[in-house]
Amino acid sequence: MISRTKAAYAYIVARTKVMKSRLLKGEDFRKLLNMSFDEIVRFLEETEYRKEIDEIGYRYSGPRLLDYALASNLAKTYRKILQVSFGDAKILIREYLKRWDVWNIINIIRGKNAGVQPELMEETIVPAGEFSEEYLKSLMVKEMDEIVKEMEGTPYYEALSKIGSVPMNVVEDEMYKAYYRKIVEMPAREFETKLFVNFIKMEIDIRNIKTILRLKIDGASTEEILERIIPGGYELTEDEARKLAAMSFDEISKSLEGYWFWKEVENVTEELSEIEVNFDKAWISAIARRASNYPLSVLPVLQYMVLKKVEVDNLRILGWGKYYGLPNDEIERQMVII
Amino acid sequence: MAEVQPTRMELIKLRRRIKMATRGHALLKMKRDGLIMEFRQLLEEAKEVISGMVEKYKKAQQKLTLAIAVDGIVAVKSIALSCCQIQPEFSMKRKNIMGVVVPVIKREPVRKKATERGYGILSTSMRVDEAVEAYEELVDAILEVAEIETTLRKLIEEIERTKRRVNALEYRVIPTMEELAKFIAFKLEEMDRENIIRLKKLKTKKAAT
Repeated sequence: MISRTKAAYAYIVARTKVMKSRLLKGEDFRKLLNMSFDEIVRFLEETEYRKEIDEIGYRYSGPRLLDYALASNLAKTYRKILQVSFGDAKILIREYLKRWDVWNIINIIRGKNAGVQPELMEETIVPAGEFSEEYLKSLMVKEMDEIVKEMEGTPYYEALSKIGSVPMNVVEDEMYKAYYRKIVEMPAREFETKLFVNFIKMEIDIRNIKTILRLKIDGASTEEILERIIPGGYELTEDEARKLAAMSFDEISKSLEGYWFWKEVENVTEELSEIEVNFDKAWISAIARRASNYPLSVLPVLQYMVLKKVEVDNLRILGWGKYYGLPNDEIERQMVII
Repeated sequence: MAEVQPTRMELIKLRRRIKMATRGHALLKMKRDGLIMEFRQLLEEAKEVISGMVEKYKKAQQKLTLAIAVDGIVAVKSIALSCCQIQPEFSMKRKNIMGVVVPVIKREPVRKKATERGYGILSTSMRVDEAVEAYEELVDAILEVAEIETTLRKLIEEIERTKRRVNALEYRVIPTMEELAKFIAFKLEEMDRENIIRLKKLKTKKAAT
């Protein structure tokens, strides 16, 4: 007999599998690379992005139209997954999606600091987390201290209350740390929760190693690097991170051997964005492996969510790159094509 | 010409002035040629520096586009505003090229660590770092171009000024003075001839009486 939890996952996984089949393939991206910006938009109008493009086509044009349409579609997709999920799966997916709350709040604060119009901030928000679109829009017109007050009771309040006393980069990093801390500290009594926490821990590994290499290239000190490390990694624990942070760039790339992400990033270059793309590819391969090992769990759902985000990012890079006439090979190098 | 006293003293003075003007003319011509040579050398250097700046600008634009695509327009805009608070530091010194005072800009490289730039490391991608670095390099290149362009402009002004002086001496001052000297010499000869005739007449009169 199939347990209730397994049945719930079977349903959600089946739904996401259908959604996954609609994702753009590698060959689609290669085809899009040879198209002009207008042709890309026309192509997308024949996909599931049509509704969003049609809805805001009268307000925006150019890459901003694409930006807004992609962000709206991403939020809609994530909300749909949340709608079709239930039980423990819903709780885990909701926790995962809270990263968009951090993203949205950071964007609103940055917008406030930069004095940009709320309309421009609206384009960048992805209301897929706990905070609704209306709530986020209401924050955009508020003063900074009012926004901070609104966040009272959330895990981000501690970080946000430091605005004005510490640099903004510290606040932003603290917010992400708070998000990850909350998940890592989740009591993993059930196997599903354990799978989810491990998934997040692996993501922390990827983010941490990216941070170490990024800051190492930049010439940051060990202490500066450690301040940016998210605690609770899967294999890259705080001690491991400390060891790596103290090494030179070449030593780090040699020391990565043995970590779960090693195979895909064997040849680490000093080109920053290339490192990022390689690690993203490593992350996606790892998720795919784990999702196939646990087909009736939250992992295939998370895999789809990551792939959807990658698709949106690829399309955004493609759109902006084409609009501003970047060479095809440069655009392709920046995209995560599996 | 009429105002000039056709005296021997005046002629000597004038000849001295012509000699000095001719020597000045030769010197100015040498200075002009030297400045032009210096200008040509700098022009080659300027071409390289300017094309380097254009390349850096293109690269920076490219990196910016990618940063906007990955991190969003608001993030990049706010990052740009926080980075703008960093003023490029430089000090000005002077250098003398053949009498032309040109500036020497001592630049402090516009470099900030990623941790000091005002945006979160965890909330941005590496594309932002690349874009910021590309723009920092561009600011350096702009300062370099500013230095070389100011030098070139000052050299052009000096070449123009020297050219005008050379031309004035060659086609106006020296020919006028030579004309004047010729006139005085002619007048003096005339006066000599008059004197000789007067003396001859006096001698004839004296002989008749």
